[in-house]
Amino acid sequence: MRTKLMVAAISAVALGGVALEALAQAKPDVLVKQRQAAMTLQGKYLGPIGGMLKGNAPYNADVVAVNATYLENLARMPWDGFDPSTKGEKSKAKPEVFSDWAKFKAAADTLEAETAKLGAAARAKNEAGVRAAFGGVAKACGACHDGFREK
Amino acid sequence: MGAGETYVKVWDAPVRLFHWLLVLLVAFMFVSGNLKGDWMEWHMRSGYAILALVLFRILWGFAGSTYARFSSFVAGPSAGIAFMRKLLARAPAPVAGHNPVGGWMVLALLLALLFQVGTGLFANDDILIEGPLAALVNKATSDKLTSLHYWNVNVLLALVAAHVLAVLYHAVFMKENLIGAMFTGLKRMPSDAAGGVVARFTSPWLALVLLAVAAFAVYLIVKRPF
Repeated sequence: MRTKLMVAAISAVALGGVALEALAQAKPDVLVKQRQAAMTLQGKYLGPIGGMLKGNAPYNADVVAVNATYLENLARMPWDGFDPSTKGEKSKAKPEVFSDWAKFKAAADTLEAETAKLGAAARAKNEAGVRAAFGGVAKACGACHDGFREK
Repeated sequence: MGAGETYVKVWDAPVRLFHWLLVLLVAFMFVSGNLKGDWMEWHMRSGYAILALVLFRILWGFAGSTYARFSSFVAGPSAGIAFMRKLLARAPAPVAGHNPVGGWMVLALLLALLFQVGTGLFANDDILIEGPLAALVNKATSDKLTSLHYWNVNVLLALVAAHVLAVLYHAVFMKENLIGAMFTGLKRMPSDAAGGVVARFTSPWLALVLLAVAAFAVYLIVKRPF
């Protein structure tokens, strides 16, 4: 019982700490910078895979595995940066991100799912699988940009 | 054809081919640019073709047949306004080549297309695709030019709409079949006005040479072999 209480207490403190930390970091301009950074890095790790698949560079399964794994993780990062507090910040995010949150979230989920497929194929060193999954990732990027990003 | 009217050849084959190829390519650009994805490879190739065609048309505007030359149709504001008056009054206003306002449209379309292709060469989609010259500029500049590339689509659409509406206006209110003339090269004119038409046609072989020059220029721009 005591142990359970202790665990509960520690959990409560820890959760409270996380929440406090989140609050402390929630400066809107920083959130925008962070979500943009996550997407800039997605570009960094997506580009070389695309180049190899197009034949601009020799296919290197190890590089693809590393890049795809980074990508899979990065794909989860931007979304909590689209906090309502960032509505007024200067960025290319369209107001629809906030007014149509469910659709935006669905587009984000699609990217997470597609990058997970790509990551799995890449870590399995399955070039055909990477090729098949890559188009889905690129499409997921574009679909969200079309609807939710200013041109 | 009414009495006292006759057909006069005004548009040479290079002008007509240029015109209709451009129509097809611009339509394809609009569709492929909106579909994005795998279509972008062909969007870019088609853009190179448009650049070559426009450069050719500019050369042909100096070296081509009489009514292809800029000197035959680039008019000042007073001529344009006078022509607009006639047009709105639906008074007969037969012109062998481009009328003064149509001449402005030719220039506007050529310039807008050059701008569109020029910005496209430096554009990027923030995902995987970028124009062949995007590597020459930094990301912020490429982004700016990409925005202009999108923005100028509206300018082009407006110009195309105005062009098509004007041609339809000629067909409905002036009984002038300008579309047919762009296919056959023959324009229906009142016989008395037609007598004054003195057209000199430049050899289509020169057109081929100039097209080759334009295509080579595009190759140099896109591939930068040096």
